Amino acid sequence: MGSAHSVPAEMRELADRTGFTSEQIEHLHRRFKQLSQDQLTIRKENFDSIPDLEFNPIRGKIVHAFFDKRNLRQESDGLVDEINFEDFLTIMSYFRPIEMNMDEEQLDRFRKEKLKFLFHMYDSDHDGKITLQEYRNVVEELLSGNPHLEKESARSIADGAMMEAASICVGQMGPDQVYEGITFEDFLKMWQGIDIETKMHVRFLNMETIAHCY
Amino acid sequence: MGSRCPPRPAAPLRPVPVPVLVPVLAALAAGAAEARATSEGQLPGAAAMGTGTPPSPSGTAFEETRLHVFTLDYPHVQIPFEITLWILLASLAKIGFHLYHKLPSIVPESCLLILVGLLLGGIIFGAEEKSPPVMNSDVFFLYLLPPIVLDAGYFMPTRLFFENFGTIFWYAVVGTLWNAIGIGISLYGICQISAFGLTDITLLQNLLFGSLISAVDPVAVLAVFENIHVNEQLYILVFGESLLNDAITVVLYNLFKSFCQMRTIKVIDIFAGIANFFIVGIGGVLIGILLGFVAAFTTRFTHKIRVIEPLFVFLYSYLSYITAEMFHLSGIMAITACAMTMNKYVEENVSQKSYTTIKYFMKMLSSVSETLIFIFMGVSTVGKNHEWNWAFVSFTLLFCLIWRALGVFVLTQIINVFRTIPLTFKDQFIIAYGGLRGAICFSLVFLLPPAVFPRKKLFITAVIVVIFFTVFIQGITIRPLVEFLDVKRSNKKQPAVSEEIYNRFFDHVKTGIEDVCGHWGHNFWRDKFKKFDNKYLRRLLIRENQPKSSIVSLYKKLEIKHAIEMAESGMISKVPSSGSLSEYHEGKIKPLSPTEMENMREILTKNLYQIRHRTMSYNRHSLAADANEKQAKEILIRRRHSLRESLRKTNSLSRERPAAANTKRFLSLPKNTKLPEKLRVRNKTSSRVGDSSDSELDAATTVLNLRPRAGKILRDQRLRQQRPLPEFRVEWKNEVDGSQDGRGEQQEPSTLPQPSIGFRQPLLTRPRFGTLSREDLTADHGPARPMPPPRLVRQASQGERQRNKPENQPY
Repeated sequence: MGSAHSVPAEMRELADRTGFTSEQIEHLHRRFKQLSQDQLTIRKENFDSIPDLEFNPIRGKIVHAFFDKRNLRQESDGLVDEINFEDFLTIMSYFRPIEMNMDEEQLDRFRKEKLKFLFHMYDSDHDGKITLQEYRNVVEELLSGNPHLEKESARSIADGAMMEAASICVGQMGPDQVYEGITFEDFLKMWQGIDIETKMHVRFLNMETIAHCY
Repeated sequence: MGSRCPPRPAAPLRPVPVPVLVPVLAALAAGAAEARATSEGQLPGAAAMGTGTPPSPSGTAFEETRLHVFTLDYPHVQIPFEITLWILLASLAKIGFHLYHKLPSIVPESCLLILVGLLLGGIIFGAEEKSPPVMNSDVFFLYLLPPIVLDAGYFMPTRLFFENFGTIFWYAVVGTLWNAIGIGISLYGICQISAFGLTDITLLQNLLFGSLISAVDPVAVLAVFENIHVNEQLYILVFGESLLNDAITVVLYNLFKSFCQMRTIKVIDIFAGIANFFIVGIGGVLIGILLGFVAAFTTRFTHKIRVIEPLFVFLYSYLSYITAEMFHLSGIMAITACAMTMNKYVEENVSQKSYTTIKYFMKMLSSVSETLIFIFMGVSTVGKNHEWNWAFVSFTLLFCLIWRALGVFVLTQIINVFRTIPLTFKDQFIIAYGGLRGAICFSLVFLLPPAVFPRKKLFITAVIVVIFFTVFIQGITIRPLVEFLDVKRSNKKQPAVSEEIYNRFFDHVKTGIEDVCGHWGHNFWRDKFKKFDNKYLRRLLIRENQPKSSIVSLYKKLEIKHAIEMAESGMISKVPSSGSLSEYHEGKIKPLSPTEMENMREILTKNLYQIRHRTMSYNRHSLAADANEKQAKEILIRRRHSLRESLRKTNSLSRERPAAANTKRFLSLPKNTKLPEKLRVRNKTSSRVGDSSDSELDAATTVLNLRPRAGKILRDQRLRQQRPLPEFRVEWKNEVDGSQDGRGEQQEPSTLPQPSIGFRQPLLTRPRFGTLSREDLTADHGPARPMPPPRLVRQASQGERQRNKPENQPY
């Protein structure tokens, strides 16, 4: 599929599947080619060439997400080595903004998809649960920008957050009950108050005026 | 206020109502003349006595003056006296409204204040039969407006503002132009109908009127909107618009005013006007930013003289305002820009106390100014400066509403194309409906030169009607409307640590994805600015040798470290203090306390990669609740340090620690005799009893708030170890180094909860034997009592503890 993007039919099909306009797809394709150095696929190393990403504390997680099979709507689990343009678009489509004409059900699905993506970023060992250790890793990475903070603070923050998650999701627990980790259902529960569908989007994706940025 | 002179808010700088001013001036002149007479009289007296002996203070030169036992010299103090009385009155009125707690939720405060003003104006008018004083426009623009704008700018949710900057700018600039021109032209059309008797009003005068009536007033908008809690996005749109469009209005007003005064208008004048427009806005912003940086830079050096620290914030921002006004630039833009620029840096440079002072003082000033403005508006309404014309007044009102609604609707259709989150129809309605007019129109209309505007009185009446309509009718109905339309509200819930983490995480994901795409979105620019900020600005403006985090978060860090240390030492000795363990157990599944939450949020907000302040909603009259707490904590640091030291000492003797810890705790009690009372207070405020702080000094709250968390972790680990399920062990393995240790101490945690239910005495006495917990292990383990759910345990123990406290004291 990589080489045949100039064919309008294929473009339309892609547009249908991912929800992007053909113009947006074109822009993204240009970027894709730039990243892959005119290859048909992108590998992890290609992301090293993005200078701005370098300082992102959760850079690893972001790059990782691109190669996560779960995000690529594939049945199996694990990581792929390289992604083609369609996969790239699939990942990008998680960051589409909501559209005006969506009904409740669509909105709900939209929301869930976005959350699923985030969940996968947290759940690095693919077991369907965010364990305390995974949570700690995330917080440590987030806090890594500040050299004055020690790991202990990050840990205790993660612990606190985990505790909070437990209290939100399980409510009362017996004294010897153990909270194993945040499942996706719990994750949904915790995000209830935050309207992610209006937050999780990348702005330019619906902008027609983006052309001048190139 | 008993004098003949009507009360005036400040020095009579500009005689607007001439008849009113006469007595004031007369009194002043008389006073001045008197003073001059005495001083002149004294000089020759002194000269006459100038034989080397100094003149005696009683003024012996004049035979006729005697020492008065009691004198009344009202003119001497008149001006400050009356200002004080006005402010006092305004503040008292404010207190009065809040006595009945339901009132502010029905009627906006602004309405009530105007009513009080109307009443006062009526009294003055009735007593003196002439127009009561009008709010002097100089007073308004030089003294009353700056604090409000400063407050709004300083506490502006910066991030939200910039995220919606395009829309706000669009509404403010294009919307105001649209309104001004639309209202002006359509009123001109009405004026052409000769039946209304308005044919003498020219097009330019109409345009001028249109420009001043289209100013949406930030004071009125804030007064109404902060009470109805619409979602943040909507709020920032209305608020930001009202803040920015003042600048546009003032420019338009000046432009049309000078056009009105000109005989002929050439094309070049129009272009000059447009250029002026940009210079006024951009110039104001530049002055503001410049002085904001200077202010930040100044506070870098104030750490030796903490006392005057807060002053700089006010001085520099006011300086920016009057400097901009001096050049006829937009002072409002200048002071907003100044406040927004300095805010971040000042916050890190000044001490916590100074910061609190700044916040309080700013809130106080703005609150008082706002109150005064509304009262004066009421007072000034009563008088003889009105001319009623049904047609003009009602068409003005009608056009104001129509053009506003049309403008918002059309502009939103355009801006929605560019917005990622389009504004819904409801949002548009609220934005249109929230276009309240206020003191800005009011003082602008009073500033009109009567010579050029023969129908000034008519304008005044129309403006007052529009203001009253918007403030009263729209202001009162907007809350029910918001409820009726079910507009998305801001969700005011407990701030949660995990939410904070998610939001941060989110930001980074978004930025990362944008980087991958190579597009320049908002996040891109934000990131760029942050980098620049970190690289240059922060280095320049923020005091070095100061850790990135503020004192408080630094302290928190220490606390956490200490807590972990304690937990670890507990682990090494393998015999956790039974007292502390029982405490920990109680707190196990309870939601985190507000203070704990606050601490964590503090750390998160201050220390996450590339500090990004989260948006917080803005409230004029109240400060964030943490201000008090922080201050208290800072004061108590020293006490806690000593306490911690002593705790650590006892920690080193691992066997006797529980005893020591416990005796320590009870020894410390008698010092603090008011404890039960304090506890009750704390219960009230935090809706949850301090888990472990029951018998502690209040100074120790944070120490012990953090301790249980560490303890909980510890305990959880233990619990997990003792369970045979493999998955748990895997999950927790990496932090528990010796899982075989668990064998030895397994049963302890599960049995220890029991004493915490209320058996304080055994806990206390037991450690004195030195041999720890072996015997009570077996003793407690046997009966296998049914365990109440932990929440109940906590509650039960709470109640019991409170009852027990006085009994415990003798120990």
